[in-house]
Amino acid sequence: MQARSTTLLIGVILALGATTARAHHSWNTVFSEDKPLVLRGTIAKVELVNPHAWIWIDVKTADGTTQKWGIEGGPPNGLIRNGITKDSLKIGEELIVHGYGARDDTTYQVAGVKYEKADGQEFWLANEGAEATAKAKGNLK
Amino acid sequence: MIRATISASVLATLLAGAAMSAQTYRALRTASGQPDLNGFWQALNTANWDLEAHEAAAGPVLQLGAAYAVPPGAGVVVDGPIPYKPDALAMKRKYAANALREDAEVKCYLPGVPRVMYMPYPVQIVQSTDTIVMMSEFASAVRTIYINGTARPPADTWMGWSNGKWDGETLVIDSRGFMSGTVGALDEEGAVHVRFLDRAGNYHTDGLHVVERIRRTGPDHLQYEATIEDPNVYTRPWTIRMPLYRRVEANMQLGDFKCEEFVGDLVYGKYQKK
Repeated sequence: MQARSTTLLIGVILALGATTARAHHSWNTVFSEDKPLVLRGTIAKVELVNPHAWIWIDVKTADGTTQKWGIEGGPPNGLIRNGITKDSLKIGEELIVHGYGARDDTTYQVAGVKYEKADGQEFWLANEGAEATAKAKGNLK
Repeated sequence: MIRATISASVLATLLAGAAMSAQTYRALRTASGQPDLNGFWQALNTANWDLEAHEAAAGPVLQLGAAYAVPPGAGVVVDGPIPYKPDALAMKRKYAANALREDAEVKCYLPGVPRVMYMPYPVQIVQSTDTIVMMSEFASAVRTIYINGTARPPADTWMGWSNGKWDGETLVIDSRGFMSGTVGALDEEGAVHVRFLDRAGNYHTDGLHVVERIRRTGPDHLQYEATIEDPNVYTRPWTIRMPLYRRVEANMQLGDFKCEEFVGDLVYGKYQKK
């Protein structure tokens, strides 16, 4: 019981912490509906994991440096239903990502709505909340 | 001298006989006619310290002295040394030097495959016709093996996705769909960037593909073999092999080793109010 309440306490503290961007959360606590953005980058890593999938891309900035951005999608089963599998995303492949940026500007993370491949094919990231906002506000870039 | 020669030849014959009977041993059958692997099994070696041959060494924490030192071992890699790509070997050395931070075992994350099979904790195998469940005492890690399953991993997980089939006396398990570390693998407290196969920093990524071959070689022994492939890390597939021993105690059962409780301060301590 002692151990259980300690664990619970840690859970609560974690939930309150602002740094746990990758926890299972309501999408617009971390991301902003008013920060639509488009990113072009090459795939660095694909994490088809529960509760939310992440695609990491290397984005070249104007000054020639590379920033690693994390694109948060929906749950893996949602991505798979939309035709996104691990085999379909090759490391080094270029993507154009449409989504919403983090409230915290120092966090290079995006609530991904969809991405385009070089051949123009579009894939939706099963990110229900962000997708609903994109439709309601019509502000997706 | 003659006696010694005779003894040696008798011994050789006996050993050959033992090897032969292990090769030809026919396991008892389950109700559905499969070789029976049910029971509690455990490795009795130092694979979890280092898969490769290694000498005894001091442990990673000075104060723990000899109690937590590394016991020596002849290694379990059949076709070693582990064929790292040059850059991966450099990473292995770096990870080994940071084992206390990088090893998922330290943080009670699920150990994955094949490591779960040779940690110093018992594994209980519960077998039905279509499904075999392997449960480790460590962190109550469970793997489900789908017999004649063909499904691909629906998502990447700590324990991966295992399809199995019977090849005569041998259970052959094909596993993929492993996470490469904690999600994001950023420099947060608690992050691990790759998955350790042992405490020595031998590692794999999400490119891991494991083919295991398990057969009963006697009433109290399994032969366990795993071929490990990961094009991100190794130049070719490589294989480990070892016996697993049956825990024959009459009162044997899996104990609770819910280690999350032991690592709360270690992993999340910085979030606690001072």
